[in-house]
Amino acid sequence: MPNILVCYKWVLDEQDIKVRPDDLSLDASRAKGKISDFDRNAIEAASLLVEAQGGNVDALAFGTQALKLSVKDVLSRGPNRLTWIGDASAEGADAFVVANVLAAAIRKAGPYDLILCGEGSSDMFFQQTPVRLAALLGLPCVTFVQKMTWADGVLTATRKLPDCTEEVRVAGPAVVSVLGEMNKPRIPSLKQVLGAAKKPSEELPLSSLGLAPGDLEPRAVRGTPKGFLMNRRNIVYKESDAAANVAQLVASLKAEGL
Amino acid sequence: MSDDSFDVIVAGAGPAGSACAYALAREGKNVLLLERGDSAGAKNVSGGRLYTYALELLEPGMYLRAPLQRRIVREQVMLVEGRRATTLDVADPAWGEGVPQSHSVVRASLDAWFASEAEAAGAVFASGMRVDGLIEENGRIAGIRVGEDEMRADVVVAADGVNSLLAQQAGLFPDVEARAVGVGVKETIELPDSVINARFGVTGEEGVARVAIGCTEGISGGGFLYTNKGSLSLGIVFNPEQAAANGRQIQEIFQDFKEQPSIAALIDGGTSVEYGAHLVPEIGYHGIPKRLHREGMLVIGDAARFGINTGLVIRGMDLAIVSGLAAARAILQEGTPTGPAYLSQLEELALLPTMRAYAEFHGIFGISRIFREYPALANQALGFMFNVDGKVPPPMLKKLLAVVKENVTFRQLAADAWKGYRSV
Repeated sequence: MPNILVCYKWVLDEQDIKVRPDDLSLDASRAKGKISDFDRNAIEAASLLVEAQGGNVDALAFGTQALKLSVKDVLSRGPNRLTWIGDASAEGADAFVVANVLAAAIRKAGPYDLILCGEGSSDMFFQQTPVRLAALLGLPCVTFVQKMTWADGVLTATRKLPDCTEEVRVAGPAVVSVLGEMNKPRIPSLKQVLGAAKKPSEELPLSSLGLAPGDLEPRAVRGTPKGFLMNRRNIVYKESDAAANVAQLVASLKAEGL
Repeated sequence: MSDDSFDVIVAGAGPAGSACAYALAREGKNVLLLERGDSAGAKNVSGGRLYTYALELLEPGMYLRAPLQRRIVREQVMLVEGRRATTLDVADPAWGEGVPQSHSVVRASLDAWFASEAEAAGAVFASGMRVDGLIEENGRIAGIRVGEDEMRADVVVAADGVNSLLAQQAGLFPDVEARAVGVGVKETIELPDSVINARFGVTGEEGVARVAIGCTEGISGGGFLYTNKGSLSLGIVFNPEQAAANGRQIQEIFQDFKEQPSIAALIDGGTSVEYGAHLVPEIGYHGIPKRLHREGMLVIGDAARFGINTGLVIRGMDLAIVSGLAAARAILQEGTPTGPAYLSQLEELALLPTMRAYAEFHGIFGISRIFREYPALANQALGFMFNVDGKVPPPMLKKLLAVVKENVTFRQLAADAWKGYRSV
């Protein structure tokens, strides 16, 4: 029976982020948080596995204090307990920092047979955290997983590659990153939500992980992202004569230099 | 508390449900507050007005914690006739002093706050949960079903809005009739506070509420406008039966209202950020269903069709909160049957007596000419008096009589006056 850890990131819901038309800057003031999409698949994969054959699922997250909002959500999706590290510095953290923090926390809380992550986060999509995490922990890493089973301490996973799928077998412990097609994350039921309130969650201060200042210094620095707005001409050719419309359209396309 | 039972389950985290859950939880009851939307307020767009006394009844000073918008110190009535408009503006700083009489609110933030207050008081809050059915046992309501899950409670409080499915399932009363509701469409329009203050003649966190008549193509209904912080709530409410007979799309009539010059100038340059539609209980006391409870169940708020519309004053949220408190008090009175205790609390907290005082007011809206001819008459009469064109004016009284005759006959005028008199 596997002892599984799932890592997740709490991100802003991209649907709520608007582009300010005047300077194309991003307005996230109305954006609500959510568990990053592929991480939700990872949580579901871990929960399904354990619900089918026994075992345990814990959850781990690094983020700002906004992570507090995720506690009920993640615990209603199956994990039995949550450890979260809330620190303002997470705002500018890159995959290097996130992997350092998660690895340090796992060394304290582990060992686990499987460490599951989403392939990439909905906001940054670096696709580096699982790989870096595996390297730091000295574990094998299986990426792009769309299907997996666990038996007798061995993980059998189907990886989706550009032109084929690949089946790999690896003895645990291992780090696994999953794709969105892995499963359809559950909508927690009322009893699962009520049950979540009784599960333990613990906040670990970042300072308790014994990381050096250099471990927390992002290698990638985020610039100022700008939105993109489609600039339409809003011209409608509505003559009754279709040929005339086409002629006008062609003329105006030519005038635009297209 | 066992895993699948509570003292009380409240279905719906609007003002009624959250007020009820809050009042019960602070007295130590195990309360489950369920919300169908992804968060409380998620199903609600735009805003309206909340009369503060209701929050004061629930807990003195509670309004200070609430995410209220502006305290309303100017009340306006706008009579529209096509491009023309006559607006009556009543300003009274006293409405904003001490505990302000009312505030504009944006429900998305108000509802989220209210549910979090209930949660902080000890209620268990779960959103994204639609109550699919009731558990009935030995003639009483014993709990609810959400998807596959059953949850039991001594009392289920239905706070699930104007077309309450729970009340229907409990066999208390049928779905709402078209004549008893208004269909509201509303929009939130963002504007900087400095612009709002300048356009509406207010300062700081003072605000304006406006009702408009004559903007519904003669359909029973009217427009409304509230100033919020950084936005306006603009909308129109109509009788759905008459709107259907009229044949024009509601959103087209709303669009015309937005383009009415006196409204267009107020919203000019604003950005529409939210749009939505909603049903509101419209006919007041006579619209309240005969049965608001059965064993194990109480119905509160819009679900109980509590609402007052005098034409000038539109009340719903305050009555919702008061009814939530009434239900909570009834449930807290151990040893008495909860249903009758609820009704007597509705009396004691002045909800039913107030609604009775306005019981016949809805008759005013039976005067169909209120929605077209009288606003036209007012605009034409006043317009005439302000007109200067360098010619000899016609005799004033004669002209005014002509304006009246153009819009209504004296027989209609007398009949309407009588109907109006009887209604108030």
